[in-house]
Amino acid sequence: MFKKARVILAFLISTQLVGCANLGVQPWERDLLAKEEMALDSEGIDLGLDDHIYFSKEATSGGRAFAGGGCGCN
Amino acid sequence: MNDAFTIEYKNDHIIGRFAAMASPCELLIETQDRLLANHLTSLAYKESQRIEQKFSRYLPNNLMANIHHSMGKAVAIDDETFRLLEFANICFELSDGMFDITSGVLRKAWKFDGSDNVPTPNAVKVLMPHIGWQKVKYTQSSITLAKGMELDFGGIGKEYAVDCVAKLCAESAPTTSIVVNFGGDIQVTRPRHNKQPWHIGIENPEDDNSTTKVLKIISGGLATSGDARRYLLNGGKRYSHILNPETGYPIENAARSVTIAAPHCIQAGLLATLALLKGVKAEAFLDDQAVKFWCYR
Amino acid sequence: MQLISKNSLTNKMRKTANVNAALAAATCALLGTSAVVQADEGVWEMDAALLYYGETERVTAVEGVFSAKKNFGDEHVFSTKITADSLTGASASGAVAQPNAQTYTRPSGKGQYVVAAGEVPLDDTFHDTRLQLEAQWTQPLWNDMRGSTGVHLSKEYDYLSIAVNGSLAKDFNQKNTTVSAGLSLAYDTIDPEGGRPVAFSEMVIDEGQFANEEAYQAAFDATRQKDTDDKTTVDLMFGVTQIINRRMLMQFNYGLSMSDGYHTDPFKVLSVVNDQGLTQSLVHEDRPTQRTRHNFYWQTKYALDSGVADISYRYATDDWDINSHTIDSRFRFNLSDNTYIQPHFRYYQQSAAEFYQPFLLEGSSLPTFASADYRLGEMTAYTIGLKYGMTMPSGNEWAFRVEYYQQDPKNAGFDAPGVLQQLDLYPSVKAMIAQVSYSF
Repeated sequence: MFKKARVILAFLISTQLVGCANLGVQPWERDLLAKEEMALDSEGIDLGLDDHIYFSKEATSGGRAFAGGGCGCN
Repeated sequence: MNDAFTIEYKNDHIIGRFAAMASPCELLIETQDRLLANHLTSLAYKESQRIEQKFSRYLPNNLMANIHHSMGKAVAIDDETFRLLEFANICFELSDGMFDITSGVLRKAWKFDGSDNVPTPNAVKVLMPHIGWQKVKYTQSSITLAKGMELDFGGIGKEYAVDCVAKLCAESAPTTSIVVNFGGDIQVTRPRHNKQPWHIGIENPEDDNSTTKVLKIISGGLATSGDARRYLLNGGKRYSHILNPETGYPIENAARSVTIAAPHCIQAGLLATLALLKGVKAEAFLDDQAVKFWCYR
Repeated sequence: MQLISKNSLTNKMRKTANVNAALAAATCALLGTSAVVQADEGVWEMDAALLYYGETERVTAVEGVFSAKKNFGDEHVFSTKITADSLTGASASGAVAQPNAQTYTRPSGKGQYVVAAGEVPLDDTFHDTRLQLEAQWTQPLWNDMRGSTGVHLSKEYDYLSIAVNGSLAKDFNQKNTTVSAGLSLAYDTIDPEGGRPVAFSEMVIDEGQFANEEAYQAAFDATRQKDTDDKTTVDLMFGVTQIINRRMLMQFNYGLSMSDGYHTDPFKVLSVVNDQGLTQSLVHEDRPTQRTRHNFYWQTKYALDSGVADISYRYATDDWDINSHTIDSRFRFNLSDNTYIQPHFRYYQQSAAEFYQPFLLEGSSLPTFASADYRLGEMTAYTIGLKYGMTMPSGNEWAFRVEYYQQDPKNAGFDAPGVLQQLDLYPSVKAMIAQVSYSF
């Protein structure tokens, strides 16, 4: 029962922000956000390598990217 | 025809011409539609008039006049002015303080007319307390300038107008290729449908005898910063008109002319100005920026 | 731009020095155009990296990656990546330590290895080379939507994985909000040397009891299943990216992953111990054939005046009863216009799988599924690292990363009988990671 509540709570938290349409910036306020290091995939190689390490050594994978498949490392 | 602008019809495009910002302005429009050409040229003329009148130093009742006569009190500004101030701020930081739009007051000491009238050190010294971008206080809705200080948008006004006009034209006619050319500061809204470059004649203002240079441009912006006839010659030394806001004196060994190609005219214009402000290091600076440039000394 | 020019542009426009980039962003801010994507058209952006992973006395891995990305104009982007890695060393087999030396048979059936007294049994036959290829294509579709599709292939000696993915993303609210949905289908086949073991079959160890080689082989084969097996995985992902203000953006993802097929690790065993804690035999593990996982992921990136703070939290839960929490954070500090350091801290905690047990008790009935693989048990892990990056005058970037990763398995509530109480059944695993990368 608690497990189900946790799943639902996590769901609610992650969908809350879709309703916040007044958040955001004007196009001319994107100077900092446009910097390369602010992109979500800015260190793609590092993140991919780390994902592979943790996929092989831990029981959980995914979150940032797809969880399944990959390799026989686990 | 009206006397604000003229229209000329060519084989595959139409040219609209008018005068603004002390330059001959032209719009090259890839169309045979006369109504469209008329509409766009009229739009361009009105927009450049609007910008010139708003930011001109010489008019008695405009925004600039209000700011310069504010005696240290806050003056309300609109969003466009705020964005220009933010842009000037970034340029101030990127140039380590060399690009400073409060340095316009130095024109009271320096008159670059090709003569040998170099100002006395005192004439320059007396103006220095009124210079310093860091002394300007502004918010999204107001600006406060100390008494005696001035803002001079002359360095970016023309390129800004070119980009604004290009943006308006692109919004009005998004599928038409239009060249906005204000005396050599150029912006092309989009490539031509036949994929050919535009051929644009640029007069060399310095040398009346030379033939007109022809530039081939497909898209993007182009701007030139140069001294043309603006210099002083005294004791064998040539004083360029690019002034160092920290000393009040011209930058040593500035290039005579820098032309830059960049996605937007104002970006090209600023890079050209920044290069001039680097003096002898102009070429090295521009090499680092990986932009197309032409540098003349 | 195609002017007749005195200097020709080199292909290294990707990382133009800061002034031009800053000016470009400032221009967009001034003119009210939306942020220009810095990826220059027609130029390949490439990244190469070499990583070394070394556990003390256990697995060592070397991994090399090369990736290339090109924007074909109008936001049509193609990216591809090739990865090769090689593993050697020993990893825990799942058997428990004993107060005396033990002999084990290698999973292939060919050969044996001996484990010293008091030591956690490590199977050192584990060495494999793997090659992975992936390609992804992204382009705008109708109406402010972006579509992306890709393939993924991974091959090692005894394992093949093929996957395809597709996703759609749409911008709202002046591109301040992006909503995306994606689907991935993966098909894996496994064919280990020596064949897959029969669930809970006893490990056959040749201690002289066989008349000849054939007799041993027959006994070994009796514990083996003949055919290969496979696993299919379906992944669904929903994400929302939201710009909060001029400095901050956030991402929320929900992922659902359902896999069906062979999940057992053919190389792992469990010790069957008596009430003294002494191992009587070793049996091969068995895991359920289905697994459904839920992932909730939240990430925030915040632009500092001279750097970036990046923090994320992930909560995962599945029907194997494994729940985990992950906090991952990176703080980038720009030391100058071309150099930066970035400390990294990660904390991970997982609860044990429902069928995890560190050993089996002799005499008790066999559970439906069981595994002593510590990676399915209760554990906490942390990573602490530092990265240093520098941009060369050419615009290319070197980066160096060093990290320390420690896993601390914990007792998930199992009483250890007899001699096992004096032994460390949950040893920590400690690893060093070092990486060099080059972007050009």
